Amino acid sequence: MTSWKEQLGDRIPEQLGGEVDLFEGQIELKKQGKLEDKIFAETRLRRGVYGQRYDNGLRDDGTGQKPLAFPCGDLTKGPDTVWDAPGMMRIKIPFGKLTAEQLEVLSALAEETSDSILHVTTRQDIQLHFVHIEDTPDMMRRLAAVGITTREACGNSVRNVTACEYAGVCRTQAFDVTPYANAITRFLLGHPDVQDFGRKFKIAFSGCEDNPCGLVTFHDLGAVAQVRDGKRGFRVVVGGGLGAVPVQAKVLSEFCPEEELLPLAQAVSRVFARLGEKQSRARARIKFLVQKLGIDEFKRLVAQERESLRPDARWTAFLDDLHATDEKPIRPAGAIPGDASADFQAWAKHNLRPQAQEGYYVAIVKLPLGDFTSTQGRALADLARELTGDSIRCTVEQNLAFRWLSGADAVTFYQRLSALNMAAAGAGTITDMTSCPGTDTCKLGISSSRGLTAELRKRLSVLESELHPAVEALRMKASGCFNSCGQHHAADIGFTGVSRQVGGRKVPHFNIVLGGQWTENAKSYGLVVGAVPSKNIPKAVELITQHYLAHREGEESFQAFIARVGKKEFRKVLEPIQKPPAYEQDPSYYSDWGDPREYTIGDIGVGECAGEIVPFVEFGLQEAEQQLHEAQDALEAGHAATAAAGGFNAMVTAAKALVRHLEVQVNDDAEDVVANFKTHLDDTEIFHDPFAKGKFATYLLTMHQEESYKHADAETAHRTLDEAQLFIEAAHACYQRLTQAAAAAAAE
Amino acid sequence: MHATKLQVKLYAKTGQIEPDKLVPVFHEWIRTKKIPDELLIDVADYTHVPQGPGVVLIGHQSDYYLDVADDRPGLLYSRKRGFEGDVQAGIDEAFRRALNACRLLEQESRLGFEFATDEVVFRVQDRLRAPNEDATYDAYKPGLERAASAFFGASPSLERIGTAKEPFAVRIHTGSSGSVSDALGRH
Repeated sequence: MTSWKEQLGDRIPEQLGGEVDLFEGQIELKKQGKLEDKIFAETRLRRGVYGQRYDNGLRDDGTGQKPLAFPCGDLTKGPDTVWDAPGMMRIKIPFGKLTAEQLEVLSALAEETSDSILHVTTRQDIQLHFVHIEDTPDMMRRLAAVGITTREACGNSVRNVTACEYAGVCRTQAFDVTPYANAITRFLLGHPDVQDFGRKFKIAFSGCEDNPCGLVTFHDLGAVAQVRDGKRGFRVVVGGGLGAVPVQAKVLSEFCPEEELLPLAQAVSRVFARLGEKQSRARARIKFLVQKLGIDEFKRLVAQERESLRPDARWTAFLDDLHATDEKPIRPAGAIPGDASADFQAWAKHNLRPQAQEGYYVAIVKLPLGDFTSTQGRALADLARELTGDSIRCTVEQNLAFRWLSGADAVTFYQRLSALNMAAAGAGTITDMTSCPGTDTCKLGISSSRGLTAELRKRLSVLESELHPAVEALRMKASGCFNSCGQHHAADIGFTGVSRQVGGRKVPHFNIVLGGQWTENAKSYGLVVGAVPSKNIPKAVELITQHYLAHREGEESFQAFIARVGKKEFRKVLEPIQKPPAYEQDPSYYSDWGDPREYTIGDIGVGECAGEIVPFVEFGLQEAEQQLHEAQDALEAGHAATAAAGGFNAMVTAAKALVRHLEVQVNDDAEDVVANFKTHLDDTEIFHDPFAKGKFATYLLTMHQEESYKHADAETAHRTLDEAQLFIEAAHACYQRLTQAAAAAAAE
Repeated sequence: MHATKLQVKLYAKTGQIEPDKLVPVFHEWIRTKKIPDELLIDVADYTHVPQGPGVVLIGHQSDYYLDVADDRPGLLYSRKRGFEGDVQAGIDEAFRRALNACRLLEQESRLGFEFATDEVVFRVQDRLRAPNEDATYDAYKPGLERAASAFFGASPSLERIGTAKEPFAVRIHTGSSGSVSDALGRH
């Protein structure tokens, strides 16, 4: 055989095969210069072929940005994206469900085209990194042959549909959401009504209200199983999202009967495609449309759209066989042996959960940073075939769940995991952190979220047996930037990467976010307490947890404690470690976790001109941060309007500092500041982020124009403060870019 | 049967290898273009994964791993693309580059690494052209014997390892007790 296409033949479904052939043809057209960059980029994204850090052909080696001399020359696979640069392949795994055979194919692909590592994402996908684009068509064929498509894994499309990993075996579920998640996946995949979105669209299912596994409240569309008068249906929410500004989804329907779920999703899609923002990427998610229209008007439009839909047999066809996705145990049910070892007991405490079906358990394989090797993947596939059947699920906490494990086999399962070095205890505890790829591979990463997570995991694992139960129960999550792929907003202790300028050098930091709620489908989000240098984050975790244990009342939960004492108190706790030492005292602060390169991008010196200007602008930015902190305190105290006004003022202060940095005369009046900001920093694109473009400037300009901060309710105030936080971060970044440019000009 | 994606692993002599020490070394190799005829791109740190790929120097043509699979640390050379030549030339080239990387690591005094030459694992990461079966072994065996003899100077013994689901792999007992430099100097 000379090709995978020939080798696999009829095993590749005809439609999927045709799509891959088309994509392969597009690759050839691009190589011949017959396809535009932008079109090809969206084409490959919709096939799951994603960019990766340094794919613009430039990389800072710690002494400055250097070109990477790829042999492809000028050939690109998108704007500023070099053809030969390694990329990431995102592989959609609907509701995380994997068969043993699929796991084996994924493992083989990881070895042959990547670096032998399979990475589970926070949305139940599998990602392979350092993949060459020309390897991707055959990867897609091999995946298609085992029932996996990468279609619409990225791009402005319906992303992987997620669902709780306990669906079907959970003791608290209303019913198994798996067949519904499966039906909506199939119905919307490639559907003409979802091809014209301005941004991505994420759907999640949950089997119950109280447990967090589905996390529906931060999804574009979420469905929570409900039974009313014996009839199945869903509470449907819309317009949630994390990202730069987290928003809780709004209720679209208190009870959508099961037969109405697919048409409702279609109607929502049509409204989003028709009215959603298309020009400004920053405001193109459906959450902005829902905010703009208001949930009542949005509901009205969806209802109107639903009325106009032409009936489709697929809406209800799946209801005829809701058991099509059922799993069957391959081993008889049994009890866990009473004389199992202490090691097993320690593992079972958090990693085994009894199913609704007596005598069976869900076993969680806790993965370090969501990673496992191809060798482990094959061994896990063998284990599934032997003990649990095709019932593996990727989880949103970047682990693997094995369902239908008989209690009688639990010790054997544990022993086999131990032999694979995969029997880490503490699933779902503070040692089980999740993290986005961050600066390791993501183009948008600001700080090393994986490096931080690895460090915290290492330190906490040593202490695991000594952790106080109240601390052990906390969840920590890290994102390398404001885009929140690590879902830090919903953690007890969350981290989001930012950078700060100290003495003319950049220092990696993380903003600490406290008080997010993981339970009840991520019912509430945290707020930023303050930025701490990356290298001080382990100390910060220690201080936060010690403060909690020392001052909590009785069995008070962490969230109740945060709500009672307020974030202001935690700012005092963290204050001593917020300032990094000078570079000369300890240069380790000036590089990130797991990366010895100096964090500074380029050879930034401290020019004399910059030296004079730096204190003033930094003073202004610090003042803005102080105003923001006061606004956060006001929100905590229940003064929403004051908080929102304070958030807006903080943005104006940051904007004023930058405008003055450009030596533009401006007074303290917000009108004057905003006008000058627009002229000198927005219109000129000086303020624009290289990736987010004008997104953060829009926050100030829109807020000023719409005066949304006036008479704000709690939700609006919360959003205002989130936007203010991001605006101030963007101001820091802008200032750093200006400093670099000044230094470069001085050097010339 | 002609595949590009060849791997060669040589094991470390000492059991005290700390893979994370490789991270700054590999970053420096990128900065100083330590392997001048290859494009070195980035460093991937997987030291958090037990028995995993360890630390990987990602390149365009090849990757270099300080691999800790099976709890046996070693240097794994992994060619990905950019080689044109026959099977024998491909095997010889993979052996040479693996040995060269071992020598470069041995020269990093801060690491204190030393590699053994008595055992080599050869793999082909291409299940289409080189499935792990007897026919593939028959096709690669002469070339592997020639390369092992040429580099290590003794009569090697070969053993095909792994299952049909794993990549084609051969464990080579070279019979050598010499150094990495000896092996490179001999070929």
